[in-house]
Amino acid sequence: MSGPRYDRSKRQDQHLIGFECQACGWVSFPEEKRTCKRCGDAPAEMAEVQLAERGEIQTFVVQQYLPDDIETPQPVAIVDLPQEGEGEPARAYGLLTETDLEEIDVGTEVVARFRELFSDGERPINSFKFSVPREEKA
Amino acid sequence: MTDPHVVGAGMIDFGELYEQSFDDLLESAYLSLIENVDKGVDPSDIDAAWYGTIDIANEGSSGSAVAHATGLFETPITRVENACATGSDAFRNAAQAVKAGDAEVALVIGAEKMTDSTEGLIASAALERLWRGRGVTMPAYFGMRATRHLEEYETTREQIAEISVKNHENGTKYPHAHQQFECTVEDVKESPTVSYPLNLYDCCPVTDGACAVLVTSEERAREFTDDPIRVAGYGLASDTFQRGAPEALTNFPATRQASSQAYERAGLGPDDIDVAEVHDCFSITELITYEDLGFCEDGKGGQFVDEGRPHLDGDKPVNPSGGLLSKGHPIGATGVAQIAEIFEQLRGEAGDVQVDSPEVGLQHNIGIGRNATGAVSCVNILERP
Ligand SMILES: [Zn+2]
Repeated sequence: MSGPRYDRSKRQDQHLIGFECQACGWVSFPEEKRTCKRCGDAPAEMAEVQLAERGEIQTFVVQQYLPDDIETPQPVAIVDLPQEGEGEPARAYGLLTETDLEEIDVGTEVVARFRELFSDGERPINSFKFSVPREEKA
Repeated sequence: MTDPHVVGAGMIDFGELYEQSFDDLLESAYLSLIENVDKGVDPSDIDAAWYGTIDIANEGSSGSAVAHATGLFETPITRVENACATGSDAFRNAAQAVKAGDAEVALVIGAEKMTDSTEGLIASAALERLWRGRGVTMPAYFGMRATRHLEEYETTREQIAEISVKNHENGTKYPHAHQQFECTVEDVKESPTVSYPLNLYDCCPVTDGACAVLVTSEERAREFTDDPIRVAGYGLASDTFQRGAPEALTNFPATRQASSQAYERAGLGPDDIDVAEVHDCFSITELITYEDLGFCEDGKGGQFVDEGRPHLDGDKPVNPSGGLLSKGHPIGATGVAQIAEIFEQLRGEAGDVQVDSPEVGLQHNIGIGRNATGAVSCVNILERP
C-alpha cells in the first residue's frame, strides 16, 4: 500500500464537524471537500456544520476474520449523524465499542465517543467510535 | 463505426495454481485462445491488447507483462485496473477501440495470482482510516447490504444461502470451476461466520486464474469463425453509499447505472436477457444484483430465487458456470472469464451447463473501489448477430 500511513490528525477527528454542499445539501464527514460527491458541483461551496453526538445505525456487520492484532469480534456500522440544525445527516462508517453485540441492530441509537482508534505503539490515532448510550443499558 | 464481435475465447482451469507463475498463467490463457479460434488466428493479426489485472501478487504487471507472455512486443498493450470490474472493463475498452475502428483484432487477457500473497487484502483491513473504508473487509462491505436487505424486505437467510447452493451445484458441472462440491442451505447456515451475517459458504474462494478472448470488427469476424457473437452494449459507473441514496444501503446504484448504459446502447432491456454471468463474490451480491439489473423488483430478489428463476432450468438462468462462489474470483481474470462463458452459452457450447437456446447474454461485475467506500460496476451485453 502506498501513500502516507496515517492521515494527520485533523480538527474533524476531534469535533463532530461536517461540510455541507450549498448546492444540494449533501454532508461530507469527516473529509473537508471542495467538490461534491452527490451533485458533482466543482468548486462546491461547502459550509461547516455541527453534527449531533447521537446518530442511528443504518446497517452493520460483525467482523470475525481480521489480522491477528485486531480484536474480534469487531462490529462496524454505517451510521447517520444528524446535524445540530436543519439539514441532512452525514453518513459514515463507525466502529462500535463498549456495546454488547445483542444491542446492535438497524435503527439502534448510538452516541459518538472520542477514543483511540488505532495505535502504532508510539502514537495514538484518535477519532470517534460509537456505542449504545449508557443510560439505556440495564 | 463497426459492431465489435467476440470470435474466440481461451480459459484455463481455475484453482490454487502454486506450480504456475503469473507469466505461466498469461501464457496458458493466450495459447488456449490461439488454439480455440475456430478458423485459427495468426498472432501478427492482433493489433492491440488490453490486460486486466489488480496485480495482487505485486509482480509489477504493466502491459509489457503480456508482451513477455505472448511475444506481442510491438503491439500496443494497455493494462486496466478497475477493482473487481478489471477484466470486464478491459473487455469494454477493447470493444470500444474496435467499434471506433482504431483496432481491428484486439486481444483481451485477464489474470490474477491470488494465492501467493494475501498482503494486499490484509493491508486494506487495517483500521487506521475507517472513514475511508480501511478496516471494512470485503465480506463486511457486502454483508452490510445483507443485514439491511434482511431488515428492510422479506428476504430470508435461507434465500441468500440458496444462491450459494445453486452456484455450487452448477460449478460441479463446469470443468473450469475451482471448488467442485455441492452444499445445502443448512451447510451454508452452519459454516463458520466470516462477517455476520455472512458465513464461509457465502464467500467465494481464493483462486488463481487467467482467461483471454479475441474481439474483432463485424467485417473481419468471419475470417476467424462462422459463429461470431456481437457485442451489443456496455456500461461502467461508480457510486458510494456516502452520497446518501437510501438504495445504496441495500443495493448497488453503480450496477443500476452501468446496466442502464448497457441496455440503452444495446436497445435491449432486462426482459431480453436469456442468460447472465453476474458478480457473486458473496451470495448476497447475486441476490441484490437481480434487482439492480432489473430481473425483478426491488426487495424481490429472495422471491426470485424461491421461484427457481435463476436456476439452470429457470427462465432467467444466472451463473450457469457456478459463478465466483464455485469457480473462484481471480480478480483480473474474472470478468474476461464471464465473457468467455457467455460466448460459449450463445454458441451452444456450454456442455453440461448449457441453457436453452439463449440469444442474448449479460455479464456483470460489481467491485469495491477506494477501499470499502466506493462501488464500481461494469456490464457488457453480448448477442447472437
Ligand atoms: Zn452537492
